[in-house]
Amino acid sequence: MGFINIVIYTSIYLGLIATTFYILSYVAAKKDKVLLFSDKELPRVSVIIPAYNEEKTIETTFNSILASDYPKEKLEIIFVNDGSKDKTLQVANKFKKNGIKIFSKKNGGKGSALNLGIKKSTGEIIFSMDADTIVDPKSLKNMTRYFKNEEIMCVSPAIVTQKPKSILQRVQYTEYLLGLFLRKTFATLNAVHITPGAFSAYRKSFFEKYGGYDEGNITEDLELSLRVQYYGYKIENSAESLVYTVPPGKFSHLLKQRRRWYAGLMKNLWHYKKIISRKYGDLGMFVLPIAMVSIFFAVFVTIYFIFKTLFEIKDELILLSNINYDFNSLFEINSYVIERLFFLWITNPIIVFIAFFIIITGFYLSYASKKLGKTYGLMTNLFFFYLLFAVLFGFWWIVSVIYVLFNRKISWK
Amino acid sequence: MENRKIKSKKRYVLAFIIGTLIFILGFVLTYSFSYIEYQRISNVQSQISYEIFNDKLDSSLFGEDICSVESFRRVSEDLGFQGRIIDDLERKFGKQDKRVLFRKQFYTLIELEHFEFVKEINEKCSSDIQTILFFYSNDEKIIGEAETAGELLGAVSSRNQNLVIYSFDIDLKSDLITSLKEKYEIKEPLTIIINEQNIVIAPENILEIEKYLQSNSYLEQNSSLTNNSMVIHL
Repeated sequence: MGFINIVIYTSIYLGLIATTFYILSYVAAKKDKVLLFSDKELPRVSVIIPAYNEEKTIETTFNSILASDYPKEKLEIIFVNDGSKDKTLQVANKFKKNGIKIFSKKNGGKGSALNLGIKKSTGEIIFSMDADTIVDPKSLKNMTRYFKNEEIMCVSPAIVTQKPKSILQRVQYTEYLLGLFLRKTFATLNAVHITPGAFSAYRKSFFEKYGGYDEGNITEDLELSLRVQYYGYKIENSAESLVYTVPPGKFSHLLKQRRRWYAGLMKNLWHYKKIISRKYGDLGMFVLPIAMVSIFFAVFVTIYFIFKTLFEIKDELILLSNINYDFNSLFEINSYVIERLFFLWITNPIIVFIAFFIIITGFYLSYASKKLGKTYGLMTNLFFFYLLFAVLFGFWWIVSVIYVLFNRKISWK
Repeated sequence: MENRKIKSKKRYVLAFIIGTLIFILGFVLTYSFSYIEYQRISNVQSQISYEIFNDKLDSSLFGEDICSVESFRRVSEDLGFQGRIIDDLERKFGKQDKRVLFRKQFYTLIELEHFEFVKEINEKCSSDIQTILFFYSNDEKIIGEAETAGELLGAVSSRNQNLVIYSFDIDLKSDLITSLKEKYEIKEPLTIIINEQNIVIAPENILEIEKYLQSNSYLEQNSSLTNNSMVIHL
């Protein structure tokens, strides 16, 4: 067995154990009793919306949060204009009459805008919300309820993308749907280590005790969730709280986003490397190590297959030249060819395991569909996901690793 | 902060056991599929062998017209297909697997029986079905070159309708292979014998093979045989 097969089968084996463990954890947690605020007990919350050049989306975002069923007397909405050069501020000012508090500052990054918002806030619970995010009317209430448990310092929602249009958005749509199950499972293990910057909730007391957002950090939301874990608090997930974000539609935009995320993850994990220890229970002993090993395998296998494909293309070109470019003689399809292909597939363990993981994906998606109620073109999106995600994921990681290794500057946009 | 406890050690043990069982099950399943295919191939081999034998006897004992033998085309196609599957099985079960080795030896026997049958048709029907004997090796050192040669022969086969290609693994421990190697003086793998006359070793271009092939009329005249051309056992 070659080295690459050892790598592939090891990753499959670990994947099987991890998947089984997560499913078992999810099933076991179903019986757990959850402590929740009743309607009367709901505390005052502040939703902070920082924005830089978001004139096109800010109105929809405001309307979605204003439509929330959270008691109005306990809801404070703070908008921080982070030195926008377009008409963001003018659009926002129209919403003053709806009770939205507007602040404006010089451009300093999302973290600095959020910190200003926290300083101005009066709520016990702080929500950070992106200026292009749409929330379900019930999400604010549902998420806040979890703070009855005093150990909980942060609550993440069920984040999905808005209706996908491009192929890349379809891939991301499926990726986000699959993430719903894992996020909930991680929460049952107290192992959520990434909370979406698009919409998450925190206790204000945490900021008061441990400081606000790290303004120089390229993934300030990730840093914050790791900090919450580092200091031993709990991060919950509210799978019934739907939040819709806009996924990048172009390859270059998506690459920039992922490069920032993954480079941020590497840098922040390095900073909080002490989390990877027995002291942090399931998170430190299993969830994070497995995630890191999976990334390593994904990158390794992607590099291998990229080179393999290149060599195969080279061989095919040589063959074509050797048969004097007679294409017809190459592509003979008959029942024997199909039968042999079928035989080769069903007798290849890797294919059988891939089939198994596809079934598991189906289980994750059915969970997501139940939570969402309505999904868009699930089968088509799934097709594009299987076709492209593994390659894209490996590619994003390779680029991110290169950027971190060579200390290249990574900007927000 | 206080140390966090692992939620449930039992769950880890259970996940390890279930994960390991699924992992093993994956291999058991694929092995079972391979074995089912092996059994199917074994049955097909016996059937093909019987049909060739039957056709030959019909011709020699009962004077049946060998030129209109209908089963020829089907037998040729089946033979080519199962040759490939046996090769695949050898790779899956291992080179030393006795069951596959036996099937491979039996397959070589059927190939030669078929080869002889073709020669008989050529002789009795004044036809010129052309033949290629390809001596390959599954040795890992030259597997890439062997596959390239196989692909070239595949292309030759597609382009020449009056051609039957027989492939022989020169590493197979078989008296027949030894005799064949002696008869055609095969000293190295990737040797190709065209119409029992011309020798080409490890060809790099299709023309190196095709220059020894002749135009043919027999198969064009017999529509039932026009799809005879194929690589048997690559």
